[in-house]
Amino acid sequence: MTVVEDVLGALADPTRRDLLGHIARHGTATATMLADELPISRQGVTQHLALLTSAGLVDSRREGRERRFHVRPDTLLDTSAWLADLAHQWDVRLARIKDLAEAAPPSD
Amino acid sequence: MREDSIEREIEIGAPIERVWEVLTRPEHVATWFGTGVPIDIDLRPGGIMTLDHGAFGRYRTRFVEVTPPRVLSYRWAAGFPDQLPDTTNSTLVEFTLAPTATGTTLRVVESGFASFEMPADRERAAGFENHSEGWSDVLQRAAALAEGQVVEPLAGRV
Repeated sequence: MTVVEDVLGALADPTRRDLLGHIARHGTATATMLADELPISRQGVTQHLALLTSAGLVDSRREGRERRFHVRPDTLLDTSAWLADLAHQWDVRLARIKDLAEAAPPSD
Repeated sequence: MREDSIEREIEIGAPIERVWEVLTRPEHVATWFGTGVPIDIDLRPGGIMTLDHGAFGRYRTRFVEVTPPRVLSYRWAAGFPDQLPDTTNSTLVEFTLAPTATGTTLRVVESGFASFEMPADRERAAGFENHSEGWSDVLQRAAALAEGQVVEPLAGRV
């Protein structure tokens, strides 16, 4: 079970979003590939991938001497649904505010 | 503006002062936010407002900005009943009111779901700076990309 705050915390960093975007576009990617493409050290890439993994945003399997990473769309979709639900709650509250403001006579 | 935010807006056919009252008076807040029980509101920066969510508990919010009738913001510790909000357990809710020819535009932004401070000097990824696109849409696009679907690129880069 992934915690939404962990997911958003992981995504709050632009470098990690970049990494996630690169992995998503390639389908799969190794840390070496990502370090070659992005202005980040191999060690930096490894650290970011560990955080993305613990947030449930990516997963990997061993391939020879390296791990090959892929994006977990289920986590992204769960987070997206959660945020959409929060946005819907605000729509409901704003509609109630509108009703109250338009119905009640101004009090002076 | 942080990327992990929800933005919503509504047009209201009432004067801006009236909308401000609905946002700040206990009897109104209890109706649109709580469970109908009048609640305490200490309406000043740093002041505490208690939101009664019935069986879910009582939640404390701390006002950040109180500029009648234009701006009202507070930190809301939505996941932590009875705790006082700080930057690690709460989101920031900002209401902005603007008069229009027919009434008031009310905008709400709730931000800070990632309770993790991004260094201010950090350059942000351009694709996520497009604020016309909601955060949840961005995530859906990323998920679609990951599933191998063809996705129109965002402004800038994904």
